[in-house]
Amino acid sequence: MVHSVGDQETQRPDVLLLVLALFPASMFLVLLYALITQPLPWAASWTWVPSLGIDLTLWVDGLAAQFLLLITGIGTLVLIYAAGYLAGVTGRARVALLLLLFMAAMIGAVISDHLIVLFMFWELTSVLSFLLVGFSHEQENTRRSAQQALLVTGLGGLALLAGFILLGQIAETYSIQDLIARADRFVGDARLSAALLLIFAGAFTKSAQFPFHFWLPNAMAAPTPVSAYLHSATMVKLGIYLLARLDAAFSDLLLWEVVLVAVGTSTAVGAALQTMRERDLKRILAWSTVATLGTLTMLVGLPGQGAALAVATLFFAHALYKAPLFFVAGNLDHGAGTRIIDQLTGMRRYMPWTAAAALLAAISMAGLPLSFGFIAKDVLTIAKAESEVFKAVSYASVFVSGVSVAAAAVAAIHVFWGRDTVPREAHPHEGSWPMLFPPLLLVTLGVLFGLAPTLVDPILGAAARAIAPGLDADAVRNAYDATPVISATLSAVLIGVVIYRNWDRMHALLERAHFLDVLGPESWYWRKLAFLPKLAAWLTRRLQHGRLPGYVLVLIGTCSVVLFALVGVTWPTWQAVEVSAPELPVLLACALIAAGALATLFVRDHLVLLLVSGLVGYGSAALFLFTGAPDLAFTQFAVETVFVVVAATLLVRLRRAPATASSALREPVLRPVALVVSITFAVVLTALLLFVSAQPFDSTLSEYFGAQSVPAAHGRNVVNVIIVDFRALDTLGEIGVLLFALLAALPLLRLGRGARSEAT
Amino acid sequence: MIWVVAIAFGTVIAAGTYLALSRDALRCVIGVAMLGSGVNLLVFASGRLQSHIPAIVPATQTQLTLAANPLPQALVLTAIVISFALLCFSLVLAARIVLERGDADLEELRFAEPHAPEGYKPSVEESQ
Amino acid sequence: MTSRPLLAEVFVRGLYIVLLVASIWVLLRGHNAPGGGFIGGLLAVAASAAYALTFNATSALQRLPLRPAALAAIGVLLSAASGVPALWSDLPFLTHLWVELPLGIADLPLSTVMVFDFGVYLCVWGALGGYCLGLLRALEEAP
Repeated sequence: MVHSVGDQETQRPDVLLLVLALFPASMFLVLLYALITQPLPWAASWTWVPSLGIDLTLWVDGLAAQFLLLITGIGTLVLIYAAGYLAGVTGRARVALLLLLFMAAMIGAVISDHLIVLFMFWELTSVLSFLLVGFSHEQENTRRSAQQALLVTGLGGLALLAGFILLGQIAETYSIQDLIARADRFVGDARLSAALLLIFAGAFTKSAQFPFHFWLPNAMAAPTPVSAYLHSATMVKLGIYLLARLDAAFSDLLLWEVVLVAVGTSTAVGAALQTMRERDLKRILAWSTVATLGTLTMLVGLPGQGAALAVATLFFAHALYKAPLFFVAGNLDHGAGTRIIDQLTGMRRYMPWTAAAALLAAISMAGLPLSFGFIAKDVLTIAKAESEVFKAVSYASVFVSGVSVAAAAVAAIHVFWGRDTVPREAHPHEGSWPMLFPPLLLVTLGVLFGLAPTLVDPILGAAARAIAPGLDADAVRNAYDATPVISATLSAVLIGVVIYRNWDRMHALLERAHFLDVLGPESWYWRKLAFLPKLAAWLTRRLQHGRLPGYVLVLIGTCSVVLFALVGVTWPTWQAVEVSAPELPVLLACALIAAGALATLFVRDHLVLLLVSGLVGYGSAALFLFTGAPDLAFTQFAVETVFVVVAATLLVRLRRAPATASSALREPVLRPVALVVSITFAVVLTALLLFVSAQPFDSTLSEYFGAQSVPAAHGRNVVNVIIVDFRALDTLGEIGVLLFALLAALPLLRLGRGARSEAT
Repeated sequence: MIWVVAIAFGTVIAAGTYLALSRDALRCVIGVAMLGSGVNLLVFASGRLQSHIPAIVPATQTQLTLAANPLPQALVLTAIVISFALLCFSLVLAARIVLERGDADLEELRFAEPHAPEGYKPSVEESQ
Repeated sequence: MTSRPLLAEVFVRGLYIVLLVASIWVLLRGHNAPGGGFIGGLLAVAASAAYALTFNATSALQRLPLRPAALAAIGVLLSAASGVPALWSDLPFLTHLWVELPLGIADLPLSTVMVFDFGVYLCVWGALGGYCLGLLRALEEAP
């Protein structure tokens, strides 16, 4: 990490970060005041991109308000904490700025009612997360973690966008509230499953659900304030937030229920197992966060009103205990220089305040009575009992709770109260006040809400009503039955104690389970990532081989295929080609053209080739002459003559140049691939010509020019009148092209002495 | 009558493409020239070969009647001149290649794209 | 080209003038008979090319009224300028205007379209002539 033990006591809190913390703090207070005085929901709307039908509609209901409180409240504490934690660290202002931007993006995401606007803010959080995780970008490992977080959440974001667009098409609205209101009209739509699966992909990547969960523990390479904020309290909850938002519309769908419960449960169990494989306190906390996110996903999937209340409560409780635990991990890192739990025992003697915060947070995390975590567990148990979940899900949930208890015990008891047996060079030290105030405040709030849940009842109730409209909190409370809660708590504590006592043994056992690494989705991710540059290099070498004839071949081949498809589609509408005897002059001219073209294939000498190819031009000139186009004939004749004469002179002189005496090119006379491509191209184009001439001819334009030439333009040569009058602007552009072609070639034309001696 | 022109057109396109696909820069230029002529034929012929009377209003009339279609002629006329400029440009390039290199082998022409080494960038494992 | 037949020199000098005059004639008749700026310009290019082949490209370049690029640029500017008077009469750019200039014997019709076509002529002569002569000169200078 960026810190070393010993020199920290002299560092004073960073004033800039403390001042910046005033922004979210004032927002938090304003919000709190507004929540007390103004009834929810709040709505506002502005027209933003009218051409795309995107309005900037804001919608703040209980769910959004709860998020806003967490975003601004914990945001304030995170900035205060960073003022202590990052004091004296280079780049702390950048972190603070990014955190504030991130806060703005989060606020935007939770208050926007329009799916596409929501998506924009969603992507913004991904990008800012990338920048924040990659803070210590000198370290290879950090860069890889940041890239991983961006790739996983970014790809999920693309899926989400596709899902949103599809959903908007199905529902014929992009407003979330409209969507919920008219959900019963389109739930039968066959495309809905695809849209929901895409949205799941987005939400699951963001909220680290299996099989996209692996990026979150790796994102612990971020500085601790960032981890506490993004990867525990706010950003990773955005996926759950979206699912909870849409729950009101889709909670009755079987797909919704099955996928969310299955994925949530497997994420929770998998993360619980992974928790026990870690020895880094921060990664232990990260995995337990993944487990909680899994539980939340499962709860969103569960039908029933209790589940909605449980989601809202667990959101809140988790933020209140997990953020302080991250702060504790940061204090340990800062004060003792390590986060490895083997080297951290008996730390309460050095860090009493941190120890107190850790203990209270751990109690809440374990869900012991008198903590807010207990309330959460309470509601959670009711929710599960109410919705008659499968036994397997129920057992899994108890196991996850047990591991959670054990992890809490590791974080608090093992680290702070265990026997201090590790020899140390320097004494660990307690953090400065900005590093103690935030965790202590949060755990105090946790205890307060645990003792008096009615304080947070209004906001949690409002949030739950946003998830499940028509929720009757009193009915939930009246159905309260203490027995399952007590048994659930007891069994979780029992399992937790067993795991805690055998932590080292289980760790050793699981450590050897390498197959988890090999088979896991993360190894798949790395394999794919390693494959990409190889694929790119291979493709580049294939496509950009540097051989000019190869490029031309691909170009012409592609043109042929596309044209063939276009012409081929129209085949049934073809009329028979009119086969009439041609006039003799036309026949002769065409024979001259074809003979000249064919002859070029058999000529090896450049000069002869040039002269033979001239036959094509002169033949064309003759054809033009006999088909009523004297201007064309004249032009073609002049051009062909000048070209042949100049090119022939060039060839003769090049041949005389000594350097090119041995320029005879050994190219095979017959090139089969080129021959096939040429014939295909010619056949397709000829078919195109025949097709065009078989179509009815629209002569409107030509007739207009023919009729207007004399009266309007005072010219009898209609061709010339078109060029210089009717389409004069075109002609102006064309002579402009001539001029610029000359200017472009001027440097090349000076290819005599000057340019040559400079080039070599 | 169109079928005669179509056959001539097809021959020109086939031969022009075949030459343009050559390794030899000068053959390539001549191929491009023939392709240009061919495309001019295509545009001209798709305006229909309805008459051999030039599109010039007789002095006794004020309207064009029974004459060839003037529109494709106007298009092709400018096309001929512009393709001539293009040809001159290709010719300049080809001449320069011959003078610089002593031959006109386009396969060996690698000023802009030198032979790539195997693997442009270390893969992820290698960079670890 | 060390030895040149004297007859050819004299002939080409004359031909050069004749071809240029012919090109102007083709340019002027272009509006009512086959011809016009493009064809006239090409004739002028042919004249320059013939001159360059008989003598050499450098002297052919010197016989041009201006340097090729300047000739082409003036052509483009002239063509563009011919569209400007229409703007004064609140007509779209490049709407051509006609004036009958009385000369006593007959009225001489003048029009902006002639200016336009003359611009085309100069541009073709300058650009394509520049190409041909530049190409030939480059080879003369090559080793």
